[in-house]
Amino acid sequence: MADNGVLEVRDLHSFYGAAHVLHGVTLNVRRGEVVGLLGRNGMGKTTLIRSIMGLSPPMVREGKVTWNGEDMTALKPHDIAQRKIAIVPQGRRLYSSLSVTEHLTMLKNARSKEGWTVDKIFGLFPRLAERRHHRGNQLSGGERGMLAVGRALMIDPELILMDEPSEGLAPVMVQHLEAIVASLKQMNIGVLLVEQNLYSALEVADRVYILETGRIVHEGTSAELQKTPDVLMRYLGVH
Amino acid sequence: MSVFQLLNGMTFAALLFIVASGFTLIFGLLRIVNLAHGALYLLGGYIGLAVAQATGIYLLSGLAAMGGIALAGLVLDQTLLRWVKGYELRQVLLTLGVALVINDLTLVIWGGDTFSVPVPPELQGAASILGVTYPKFRLFVLAVGVATFLALWLMLNKTRLGALIRAGVDDAEMVEASGINIQRVFLLTFMLGAALAGLGGWLGGAFLTLYPSADSEILVFSMAVVIIGGRGSLVGAAVGSVLIGMLNTFGQVWFPELAYFVIFGPMAVLLAFRPLGLFGRAA
Repeated sequence: MADNGVLEVRDLHSFYGAAHVLHGVTLNVRRGEVVGLLGRNGMGKTTLIRSIMGLSPPMVREGKVTWNGEDMTALKPHDIAQRKIAIVPQGRRLYSSLSVTEHLTMLKNARSKEGWTVDKIFGLFPRLAERRHHRGNQLSGGERGMLAVGRALMIDPELILMDEPSEGLAPVMVQHLEAIVASLKQMNIGVLLVEQNLYSALEVADRVYILETGRIVHEGTSAELQKTPDVLMRYLGVH
Repeated sequence: MSVFQLLNGMTFAALLFIVASGFTLIFGLLRIVNLAHGALYLLGGYIGLAVAQATGIYLLSGLAAMGGIALAGLVLDQTLLRWVKGYELRQVLLTLGVALVINDLTLVIWGGDTFSVPVPPELQGAASILGVTYPKFRLFVLAVGVATFLALWLMLNKTRLGALIRAGVDDAEMVEASGINIQRVFLLTFMLGAALAGLGGWLGGAFLTLYPSADSEILVFSMAVVIIGGRGSLVGAAVGSVLIGMLNTFGQVWFPELAYFVIFGPMAVLLAFRPLGLFGRAA
């Protein structure tokens, strides 16, 4: 399949040392689509994100990750990012010795006017503009989330992998985040959204997958999932 | 404390800073304790010596020392260190081995005699400063040290490459996942750090002279500077250099029998209270 902006994960097996974490995961995300990846702690969600991004560990031993039909399994993370796949990692992982502005400028030639620029990011998140001289470790939880998204946008992504973006945020900030994810969808960016916050994910996702001990045990639309309380209870422990 | 001793301390600190800043850049970003840094310093001095003797052009000998050692850094990184990436103990042992090999090579080529890199007439003799008569060359080293600090500070804080290096010190994997080939940034940093060792050797070759064990002496001082200042910190390297330069100078004057203790005693005390050094941060 060669149409544009499709991430396909096929029968992926990932290992941490001898530990077999992902047991044949298959899923796909299209441009302009928000796909939720749900599951309890330790079920392999972050392992899957790291495997897609080419980060090591884990080791991918079997299966494939393709992007627009190209096999990315052997690519290095920077090659994958250059193919316009960005990551908003768990815990944000901002740079404590860089200012807000530097987080963005380091990724692009300052004269580049193509795609996302620092000014456009500041237009999207006015709060970051006010904090432009603050360092990564001097921001509030909400600001950290905005900067992590802004940093991801600077590579002009067609797909963003978001690992628990609502983690540690106040409810009002979670709503703001949902609005951001919705606007990414409007910009025709695909989002793979890893969440433990079920309601937030169901709010914004078009489709969801549920990961249980390294296997996809459920897939369907958000609307369907909301109507199947037994699935929610069984895999996510909510009712 | 006389002005003369103060200048001795500051000029030695300047030389130490040039060498130690390269050491701390490599240690901070690449997490490599490059025990060959002293050997690169010595080799840089000998390259400077050879080029100065062959051409008589002082500036050219300096550029040759920096360029030659940057190249040596490139070869070291790409041929040997690439096989032990991520294994700290292996890196330490490997670079120690490289240090021994380089040291023996210089012994074979230049012998065990003491050499001094010839300096041009403008830098010979003495100048009058702060009421004392002081060797011009040492003042030149002080000026180069200050200029090196300023240039490195501007590079690290005001350029995109500098931002990439600092981000790499904080979280190299995240930089890589943002589309930057961090290995290339690592390599550039390694070559820059090596070039600073070469620059130090060229200056030290006239300041302290060149002899077969000069490499381990400067290495021990550089390590003390980086341990005091904190891994990867440029300001830490500057402060550490001044501290070590002063302690060494005044230690030799006041407690000549205890010269090394005067340096390493305070270093041990400092480490007891600040294990990461004055400006160091947890990785």
